[in-house]
Amino acid sequence: MNIIEIENLSHRFADGTVGLENINLSISEGAFVVIAGRNGSGKTTLLKHLNGLLLPTKGVVTLFGRSVAKNLTWSRQMVGMVFQDADSQIVGETVSDDVAFGPENLCLDRTEVNRRVSLALETVGLHHHKDQKPHLLSGGEKRRLAIAGILAMEPKVLIFDEPFSSLDYPGVKEVLAQMISLHQAGHTIIVAAHDLEKLIAHTDRLVIMEKGGIVRDDLPSYLLGDLEVFGIREPCASRLGMEVHSWLN
Amino acid sequence: MAELNVLGFHAGNSVLHQLDVRFKLLFLVVISLSSLNAFIPSLVLLTLVLMVALKHAGLPLKMALKDLRYVLLLLLFVFMARSLSVPGSPVVEFKGVTVTREGLYEGAIVCWRLVIVIMTGLLFVLTTRSSEIKAAVEWMLKPFPFIPAKRIAIMMSLVVRFIPIIFEQAKKTMEAQRARGVENRKNPVYRLKMFSIPFMRRIFERADKLVLAMEARCYSENRTDSLLSSGVKDWIALAGVVCLCLIIIT
Repeated sequence: MNIIEIENLSHRFADGTVGLENINLSISEGAFVVIAGRNGSGKTTLLKHLNGLLLPTKGVVTLFGRSVAKNLTWSRQMVGMVFQDADSQIVGETVSDDVAFGPENLCLDRTEVNRRVSLALETVGLHHHKDQKPHLLSGGEKRRLAIAGILAMEPKVLIFDEPFSSLDYPGVKEVLAQMISLHQAGHTIIVAAHDLEKLIAHTDRLVIMEKGGIVRDDLPSYLLGDLEVFGIREPCASRLGMEVHSWLN
Repeated sequence: MAELNVLGFHAGNSVLHQLDVRFKLLFLVVISLSSLNAFIPSLVLLTLVLMVALKHAGLPLKMALKDLRYVLLLLLFVFMARSLSVPGSPVVEFKGVTVTREGLYEGAIVCWRLVIVIMTGLLFVLTTRSSEIKAAVEWMLKPFPFIPAKRIAIMMSLVVRFIPIIFEQAKKTMEAQRARGVENRKNPVYRLKMFSIPFMRRIFERADKLVLAMEARCYSENRTDSLLSSGVKDWIALAGVVCLCLIIIT
């Protein structure tokens, strides 16, 4: 079953720049999709249409058959987004306050808010940091906090925009393990990335974007040879003619 | 890792953390107003009480002084202005500028009062979540029909939330400029211009990102508020603060 349907989506920014041009894409429930492309190819712009942070100039985005543009609050609850800059996503003064922010916006009663906060913090393994100031967490922990913040809203789809940017190796492993565990728990995962090295072993679909359009959409193994044409580095193992392994092994 | 910043909430289990935010807001106003009428003995008493309270709330004093160093500069400016402008018996005279005994005394008293107000505010911010401040402001404005209580409360809580970010950005901008030798330029206007333009741009960019992140998490004016509940502790604290203020103003 397709959870997201995008038909003829185009987006022009206020200054006339073309952000997206005639995008057609369907994403099935439970998929792990990576959207790759060089900087400025339109990855983030596309992701922002999935929860209505940007609205189409032309075309329609539907989620479970309902228009995103006409159901903004519901869409943002269903599609949780982890931004590239985790610091900018933090709004609470303590870790638990930050996780509570989303459920509070949904006007849930206090008991339910507290239940969701505990559950989300348990899921990402940050419950022992619940009273800590978020800005004192490490890079990987901040990214996991951002994930907890959206998990507390109980979304079906999780979007990650460049989830490994400015993370060290342990941070990358923490976040990658979290993403895989969420996928195994049944969430649909969509990731925007320009570096596929860390993700390619886990994804079941690769979409390549160029100049605001989709230029390739297939199984990752079929596209490995084409990557560098579109400004994406081919994973090291693949370059050497070897099988690509997970970063978690 | 980011550095700690005292100008924000610090989680804790002190009595002050447990007090109802409405009472704390009232204490802030009453103590600040009383301090404006206080002289040396009362100021000593207030300072001691507030220092004990700050210690109890878990404020790292060294860090607080470091973070508030620009406020201390402002106090120095106020002190100098008072010392030079109040007439009285001269202590120092230099090229027509006279520092008077009365001026020094008044300057010291005004600065001391301002320090009391700052310490009280610090204590409040240190022990109160911005969501609680929002709920308290909303509760206090509710009886006034033509005031948009929710909106004002949200604006206040966002301002409190944004203060540490502004300080952090200022620090980053200054460090970046020092790394490129801005200290070699002696013209303060040039340095102010070169600091303020990127600083303001970064603050607005950060605000934009924050707005987007809040929108992505369904932010609206109608949301689950913090629970406001008062108990015996709050009334005992109120009695204590009233007694303290009576001692100060009499």
